[in-house]
Amino acid sequence: MTQPFRTPNFRGWRALVLHKPGPVTEALLRQFGQLGMEGSVVWPQLASGTEAAVLFFDADLGHDGQFPWPPGQAPMPLIALLGSEAPGRVEWALTQRPQAHLLKPLGSAGVYGALVIASHAYAAQCRLEQEVAALKSRLSRRPAVVEAVVALMQRDGIDTSGAAYARLRRLAMSSQRSIEDAAEDLLRPAGRRCA
Amino acid sequence: MFWLPHCGALGGFNVTQPVPLAILFSTSGPYAALGREALDGALMALAEVNANSRQGFTLVAEICDPAGQTENYAPLLDQALRRTGARHAVGGITSWSRKEMIPTVERHQALLWYGCPYEGFEANDRVVYLGACPNQHIVPLFAHALPRYGARGCFVGSNYIWGWETNRIGRELVTDYGGRVVSERYLPLGDTNVQRVIDEIAAKRPDFILNTLIGPSSYAFFAAYAQLAAADPAFAAARRPVLSCNLTECELGEIGPAAIGHLSTAPYFDSLPEPANTAFRQRLAARFGKDRKGSAFFLGAWLGVHLLAEAMREAGTDNPDTVLRVVTSRRFVTPLGPLGIDPRTNHAILRPHLARVAEGGCFEIIESAAEPIAPDPYLAEYVARPPASAACPGQRPNLRVVQ
Repeated sequence: MTQPFRTPNFRGWRALVLHKPGPVTEALLRQFGQLGMEGSVVWPQLASGTEAAVLFFDADLGHDGQFPWPPGQAPMPLIALLGSEAPGRVEWALTQRPQAHLLKPLGSAGVYGALVIASHAYAAQCRLEQEVAALKSRLSRRPAVVEAVVALMQRDGIDTSGAAYARLRRLAMSSQRSIEDAAEDLLRPAGRRCA
Repeated sequence: MFWLPHCGALGGFNVTQPVPLAILFSTSGPYAALGREALDGALMALAEVNANSRQGFTLVAEICDPAGQTENYAPLLDQALRRTGARHAVGGITSWSRKEMIPTVERHQALLWYGCPYEGFEANDRVVYLGACPNQHIVPLFAHALPRYGARGCFVGSNYIWGWETNRIGRELVTDYGGRVVSERYLPLGDTNVQRVIDEIAAKRPDFILNTLIGPSSYAFFAAYAQLAAADPAFAAARRPVLSCNLTECELGEIGPAAIGHLSTAPYFDSLPEPANTAFRQRLAARFGKDRKGSAFFLGAWLGVHLLAEAMREAGTDNPDTVLRVVTSRRFVTPLGPLGIDPRTNHAILRPHLARVAEGGCFEIIESAAEPIAPDPYLAEYVARPPASAACPGQRPNLRVVQ
């Protein structure tokens, strides 16, 4: 094993529970206490600017108006609290993009496992989203690459587009940038080039 | 006597009322020795409780033997609770058996008194956990042993959740001490074919061995390791010890001299110098003969019955919720020393001891925590220690050398 495995630890995490106070919120708060977390219950609505390390939300009575962000854009991991498994309710819960769920009624177990899964999935989701954003940006800058290849052929008298692309690639690699960045740089007026 | 009579608290029991209690220990099957030890503890406590004629109730035990088969526990417990109307059960050795019984206990709104060391990461509100969890066993065990013997370990365990999870925590601790796990092997429950594990240890020459084997596998391992040590003194217990979190007096007879010098941690050892333990050992000798020793497994079950009875005397009822409220709000004087149940987790607040196996099937306590340690079943409070180079014996403020 190259990296030592760390036991997931949620000490000091601030958890919000968007659920009507009752046995479910009591069970959650008890488990938070065992995990060294701070928990608070909010109902019926989250304030704007809500900050928390994780949010548990009621899927039975929940609706979009309770959240200060558009559906699916929560700035923290979400755990859905499902009582009804009716497809309409599950479908609505999915629009919030939870990373894990717990079934109601809640006993004295479940929160730790749900937190491990949700925090792991949330981190993976954030990494993926960053990767997708970077790839999208590169895709949108394809025309610059084509232009740079043509410019290189003309400037340096290169016969084939393949050889010009290879040169652009070498330029990008030697300055440790993406091909798109190197292409845009090449196309800038001479005085404003970075490299 | 240290169980104080509560004369004013008998309101609920008008006449001597029989109160049923389910007891489930596997006294046959692959870990029968532990089951018999725990059953002895429960029955001795039962006799002691019932000897009190002024408390208004008599505990009536329904004893079941699940024979070490995981799938037997839930149906047997369910039958026992239904047939007798019992609202309390004492039992379970392995974690699988406890996890099997929990849904039944929840369905009946009963209370399970579980008395064994286990791997943590659970805190059910229908269970009272009387054995040690990781911050009370492997954490203090490694805090003692790794700075002294080194932090390169071979791990060997029985192939189920106790071994897997305890070893996983062990691996994390070893890393914190700047060491590493040089091998990790699991044997099926009851398997005694240990030669390959021993050969590997002989080749890797670790600083210590962490043993989470149970029953006959553990006995076979100690025997084979003693042979290795006889052939090569580099594997003597004083140089490369076997560390265990579940090795108790009740198995030393089976292992014999092969265990001598190796280390174990537990909240109870027979040699514990507690005043209440002196009195306890006299009663133990009176019941079983002078050679009988107490063990953490015996005391786990014994405590379950006694704490239940004590809470019933005080509450005047065997209502599980009331009983739970009483046991989590009091301190008890026990052979283990003062003991409480943490209301947040239902786990016992225990004082871990570290002991070395001595001649004659007993343990010599070499270190004890300065005071009882609050349970932390999810290791939420665990903070990585400095690496081995920075850790020295003087930096462990909550452990006190007693011998």
